[in-house]
Amino acid sequence: MNQPSHSSHHEDTEVRTLSNEARAAIDASTRGPVILFLGSSIFWLVIGTFLKLLADWQLTIPTLLDCTALFTYGRIEPAQNNILLYGWASTAAFGAGLWVTARLSRVPLLHKKLLTSAGIIWNLGVLLGTVGILIGDGNSIPGLDFPGYASPILLIAYVLIASWIIITLRQRQPGALFASQWFIFAGFLSFPWLYATANILLVWHPVQASAQGPIASWFLENITNLWLAPVAIGTGFYVVPKLVSRPISSPSLSVLGFWTLILFGSWTGIGSLMGGPVPAWMMGAGVAASIMAIIPVLSIAINLHLTLRGKYSAMSWSPALRFTVFGLYGFFFSGVLATLFALPSFNAVIQFSDVVAGASLLSLYGFVSMTFFGAIYYIVPRLIDAEWPCVKLIRWHFWFALSGLVLSVSALFLGGLLQGFAQFDVASTFRSSIEFVSPFRFLAAISSVLLLLANLSFAFSFVLMLLKTGKSESGPALLNEPTENSLETLAV
Amino acid sequence: MNKLPLLFTGILIVFGTAWLGLVAYPVSNLGHLQPLDDEDTAGYFPPSVSGLAVAGQKVYASAGCVYCHTQQVRLDPTSTDIAKKLGVRQTVPRDYIREKTAFLGKRRIGQDLSNVGTRFKEANALHQYLYEPATVTPWGKMPSYRYLYKLTKIVSQPSADAIQGLKGPHAPPAGYEVIPTEDAKALVAYLLSLNKNYPLPESPEPTAK
Ligand code: HEC
Repeated sequence: MNQPSHSSHHEDTEVRTLSNEARAAIDASTRGPVILFLGSSIFWLVIGTFLKLLADWQLTIPTLLDCTALFTYGRIEPAQNNILLYGWASTAAFGAGLWVTARLSRVPLLHKKLLTSAGIIWNLGVLLGTVGILIGDGNSIPGLDFPGYASPILLIAYVLIASWIIITLRQRQPGALFASQWFIFAGFLSFPWLYATANILLVWHPVQASAQGPIASWFLENITNLWLAPVAIGTGFYVVPKLVSRPISSPSLSVLGFWTLILFGSWTGIGSLMGGPVPAWMMGAGVAASIMAIIPVLSIAINLHLTLRGKYSAMSWSPALRFTVFGLYGFFFSGVLATLFALPSFNAVIQFSDVVAGASLLSLYGFVSMTFFGAIYYIVPRLIDAEWPCVKLIRWHFWFALSGLVLSVSALFLGGLLQGFAQFDVASTFRSSIEFVSPFRFLAAISSVLLLLANLSFAFSFVLMLLKTGKSESGPALLNEPTENSLETLAV
Repeated sequence: MNKLPLLFTGILIVFGTAWLGLVAYPVSNLGHLQPLDDEDTAGYFPPSVSGLAVAGQKVYASAGCVYCHTQQVRLDPTSTDIAKKLGVRQTVPRDYIREKTAFLGKRRIGQDLSNVGTRFKEANALHQYLYEPATVTPWGKMPSYRYLYKLTKIVSQPSADAIQGLKGPHAPPAGYEVIPTEDAKALVAYLLSLNKNYPLPESPEPTAK
């Protein structure tokens, strides 16, 4: 069943069988829906980061906007989190996943009007869910806050969108499935399963609360591990080989990474309930899975490194490669840390501290978002006949994002460690845990300003791009002069 | 891995194992727990709660308290929760059967609230706290829930519901009083009902060291 030799000829196969006209026909078919998905995802990214900024400042200044229920921390915080999960990351995953799937399957998308309508319904669902949280109808289940009247809309839209992936894969030109396609396929299969299960059992017809803990943590962790992560890795595994004109180095490492990610990733969630009201065997399984989850993390990172070996310099001029590679290494870092944090004696200290917030920021922004930024920089110039208009905006996007990320994650980790130790130490008061963590929360609030600036530069750049201010004759937007003669790969 | 149906089946099976273990197992084994009767005290544990307290769970969810407060006392001695007097014993699934949603929480920005009903004895103190936390804990970071209260003019008689002893910048001026809304009353009833110090056989109190 395994035919790794096919995937190792990734580049050749596609180049051989895809004429320029055929590629243009595919891009023309994906243009409308993909631009809709990417554009709306960036819209939600800006709204979400703005609300995150507000929530982070409220932790420092509790009186900020405390005059009205609409802006209370307990609503702004889930609103920003759900917007970033569903409005930004998932919508970007649709755009990137559809585009890569169509390209690799070498068939144009059919019936795109229906797909476009599904995209609009999805966005309306996100809007309705967000308004629902702000007016107080949220469920207060992390990651599943959208009220029961909004989530069915999301689920219906999702099933429509996912069927396009499956139809496209089924109609693909004969040939092997590429690693990117497995990952994206797995992601699109998992989400409806996760979202339907969690909504039925926790929101629409809740089971007894005694059973809810494991289900809620299974859901929250897998939204990243089995939906966003596979799609991000799948697109990264398409973009990187293209940009360094070299196939993914080791097909067998891809296979290993793929199956172990699904196997161990799907069990790790329970680690966040260590010592909590769940049966002991579950905690044991959760810890074991979190430790074993180092296998997919290492195999994907090693594969990436082998593919990039000797070609890292391309990151200095190609924005798409730079973001994607940072994103995939973000996956590596957050995976290694997740394994470390799962060790029971350490987990008991940091389980409820800001370290957890830092870890989820690292995974959602450092990994998933950075990888999708890279994918968007790669995809959009190929969809509309224009180049990114302003290199300076791309540079701002990158440096604000990186500095904001590093600053906030380190602040949350350091502050969280102090806070965690104060909450663990029997002699310390609760008050001292607040006093330890406060200066670090202030730093995290400052760095969310940097993240907002990064995302605003990105959004601005995208709008200019749609207005086609960048002429394609002037060549692709490069961050620096390339040092190697590999420009032609950038213009694929 | 070149055939879609094979890939599909593989993903289904692998992902399905976690689904069976972490979703189906809890639903069938933890989803139908009953309160236990205790021979010594002739009571049912966990005890039933008032309708007002049940309504308060909704207010708790709608205000998002769960983003700053956990409701779980963890296993001893891996954690120090019991040594730090968050509760006398670990919380177990049966403790949550009176709730609609298990507000286990992910961060302790504020204290664990599993047993907050043992720390606050009466409603007025909690109302004071929710109305303006900074007057009670000036070092604190808890936001105010003034939006759950109404500032009204005293017409003839002060209302029996009015919050007593408010201080700070938002204390009512002379001739005015602060009345809790129905939501505030429900929330406070819910908080006062949070008390898991009753005995459960599956969660013995750890013996003192
Ligand atoms: C932004 C985070 C935050 C939110 C949201 C929040 N709290 Fe708090 N809460 C705190 C902090 C921090 C403390 C510790 C004392 C302080 O800072 O004033 C606290 C303390 C408390 C206490 C006192 C606990 C004790 O044992 O002394 C109670 C009761 C309480 N909160 C109830 C609530 C309720 C009810 C809600 C929802 C309506 C809520 N909190 C929402 C942060 C929060």
